[in-house]
Order: sequence, then structure tokens, then C-alpha cells
Amino acid sequence: MADILRPTEESGPKTDIVKEATPLKEPSFINAVLAIAWKDLTMERRTRQTLSVMLFFALTSVIVYNFALFGDLGAAREVATGFLWITVLLAGTLGLNRSLMSEQENHSLEAVLMAPVDRSAIYLGKVLSVTTFTVLMEVILVPLFIVFFNKPFWRPQVWGILLLGTIGYVAAGVLITSMSVQTRTREVLLPVLLLPLTLPAVLSAAQVTAALMEAELPTWTQVQFPVALVVAYDVFMLTAGFLTYHFVVEN
Amino acid sequence: MAQRIESLNYDRLIPILNWVAGGALAISLLIIFFYAPTELTMGNVQRIFYFHVGSAWVASLAFFIALLSGAAYLRNPARIWDTIAVGSVEVGLVFTTMTIVSGSVWGRPAWNTWWIWSPRLTSITVLWLVYVAYFMLRGAIEDDERRGRFSAVYVIAGFVTVIITFLSIRLLRDIHPVLIGESSEAAEGLQEFSGIDSLRMVITLNASVITFSLLYLAWLANRIRLQRLMDEAAELKMRVMTRLQG
Repeated sequence: MADILRPTEESGPKTDIVKEATPLKEPSFINAVLAIAWKDLTMERRTRQTLSVMLFFALTSVIVYNFALFGDLGAAREVATGFLWITVLLAGTLGLNRSLMSEQENHSLEAVLMAPVDRSAIYLGKVLSVTTFTVLMEVILVPLFIVFFNKPFWRPQVWGILLLGTIGYVAAGVLITSMSVQTRTREVLLPVLLLPLTLPAVLSAAQVTAALMEAELPTWTQVQFPVALVVAYDVFMLTAGFLTYHFVVEN
Repeated sequence: MAQRIESLNYDRLIPILNWVAGGALAISLLIIFFYAPTELTMGNVQRIFYFHVGSAWVASLAFFIALLSGAAYLRNPARIWDTIAVGSVEVGLVFTTMTIVSGSVWGRPAWNTWWIWSPRLTSITVLWLVYVAYFMLRGAIEDDERRGRFSAVYVIAGFVTVIITFLSIRLLRDIHPVLIGESSEAAEGLQEFSGIDSLRMVITLNASVITFSLLYLAWLANRIRLQRLMDEAAELKMRVMTRLQG
């Protein structure tokens, strides 16, 4: 596996993760997860096909929202948190589709499945890489929201809830997308399956985000239940994906 | 276990189940309208409550059975587990729709509105969407074995919405009354309905819960038989096709 993962030329960063994943020695679980995520990130660094699409979509959406509420900046500010989450959701769908479809198209998933690692490690690696893409997109998206909507999105708590919500969304997303890319209707099916399923986490996260936009920060008791709901959702989805992923990628 | 369920004589079982469920339905209608006392603050409208809670209970039961048979299918991919899961989701969806409609009819006199996006009503709408999407997933896969496997995984992941719907009124401030367990303190002042306060109400509620559960069982048995006939028809079609070709 190391030879496949490693670039053939001598240049390029040498990492311990890849070195340890030699075909003779079975890699530890954590190393397998990191190797899968690293493979996705390397692929992305070379092709730039996932993150660029997500970013451009996010940028277009923000501009469209502003046009849609042109005359009424007050209204735009009121619904800014909703817009933020809608953009993350839809751009996330694009990223998930792109990331898992390319595996399917090039039959590279079969090669990954041949590796002597647990299927759940592949799942967690995928979750890690897609979460990284989505968070990178958010890093660009949030400043845009601060500029266009003039709301305190820079607060560190906003990043906390964004991360929590994104993890739950991607945890469900990797599981569902791995199935939807194997069906007849492919990318059409994904939003229909994924959006309702992730709504419980996203609605709670959006509720917390909206509370964080107030001039005065909310107290912990005011937001503890929605936050707990998001965390519970993350745990449930990661567990469900962890336990059932090998049924999804089996042929 | 799969074999035991498979080998039941459905042709004999189904008429019995149908009659039992139908009879129970007639009896519990009588109980709801003539035996149950009229609630003090809400009057006759409160009788909707028995339908509402009964169907909500059976919906969660059906989705739970679907979860279990999904897990059973992943352990042992027997056709029957897939059929039970589909049948349960179908029946669960019907009962969820009944819950939503009866709740809405209740909401009109109680809250003075048909619909309000409170956490409970939001989460049950999400639940409804998630289980409708289950059929979209099934429709997009041709291979039987893969369809069973994928929909089993989906039905397990989808159960999170049932848990959240159950928890929603217990954790978040909601206009919806809590029947079992404590409601959060913040929501206390919002609720107009005191819950069950007489033995006759308890009996009526239990009667409707049992009746709807029987109805679920009867529908599920019918659904299993239907699936079997469909499989048989498909097999016969295949045989005719091969005969015509060869």
C-alpha cells in the first residue's frame, strides 16, 4: 500500500504515517485512519477538484443571498446564521459527492479495500478528510459572512459549534454517500437522503449559532440542551457508521 | 428465528389477526367515545388524545422493530428481515402521518393554530421525511441483496430521528405536553393539559395502545404475505421468460 500512496518521485514530504503502512506489517488502527485521510488530502492537493468546487459554490451562494435580500439588509442580517448553515450543508453535499464519486469512478475504492485494515478505519479516515475539507471551506466562508452580514461570526464559540455540527453532518454524510454513489440515481439521491437525516443536528447547531449572534453572549444553561443534542447526534452517527460501514462497501 | 417467522402459516394467521384487530378497533372506539370521561378544560376534543398517543406509540414501535430487523438482516441476510423492515417502516409512516394529523386537529383548539414549528413538531416532520426517503433509497437499487443491505444500514442510522423526537419535548422548551416522565421546568407554564387524571382515562389509553399495536401486527402479517406473493410472481415470470427464450 505504501508504494501506491507514496509519490514515485523523490521530492514531496516524507511522513511517518506512510512509512509505517508497509504491506508486511499491519498498521495500527490510528495509523490506518490517518493514512486514508492523508491519501485523500494528497489527492486533493494534486487535483484540487473537491475544495475548489465547494469554495466556489459557497462564494456564489453568499452573493446570491445578498442579491435575494438586496433592499433589506436588516432582514439579511436576521437570517445570516440560517444562510451559513444552508451553505455548509449544500457545499458539503458537493464535497461528499465529489470525494466518494472519484473513488467509485476510478475503482480506487477496491484498491483501498484490499489494504489489510479495518473497514471502520476507512470510514473514519474518510470522515476525517471530508471534515477537513468542510472546515477549510468554513474558514473562508465565515470571513465572507462577517463582511457581508456584519454579525459577530468571529466568536470562538461559533467555531466550536460549527465544528461539532460539521462532524455530525459528515459522519452521516460519508455513510449515506457511500451508499448513494452505488445506486442508479447517484448524485441526485444524496440530498434527498442526507438533508432530512442531518436536520436534527443542523437545526440545533443553527439555533446555537443564532444565540451566539446576540450582542450579549448566551449563558451555558441557555444553550446546553441544543449543544448536547448535537454532541449526542455526533456520537450516534459515528457509532452507526463505525459499525455498519463494512456492509456498505462490500460487494 | 428467521426461519420460524418464515414458516408461519400466513394464510390461516391473517384472517384471525384481521378479525382480532378489527374487533379491538370497534371496542376501543366505543370505549373512547362512551366510557372515557370528558376532560374538564378541553372537553370532547381531548378524545383525540387517545388516537394521537396510540398512533405515536405504534409508530415508534414500528420504527424500533424496523431497526431490529435491519440489524438482524446485517447479521443474517434472510429475505424475511428485509420484508419486516419494509413493512414496519410502511406501517410506521402511516401511523406517523396519523399522529401528525390528529395532533394538528388537537392543536387548533388547544393552541389556536394548526401548526407551529416547535421542537417536537419540527423533529417529527424530520422523522417523516427521513422515513419517506427510505423508499427513495430502495427505489434506486435494483439488486435485491444490495437493496436489503443498504436499507438496513439506512434504517439503523435513521432511528436517530426517533430518539430525538422522543427527547425533544423533554430537553427543549416546547408547547407540546409531556406524558411520560418529567417535562423541563421552563416549559411547565406553557402547558394547558394536565395529562391523565383518572383511572378511566388510563384504561382508555391502554385500550387504544393495544388496539393500534394489534393493527400493526395484522398489517405486518399482510405485508409479509404480499411480499411472498410478489416474489412468487416474479419467479414465475422468470420461468416463463426462460421457457419462451429456450
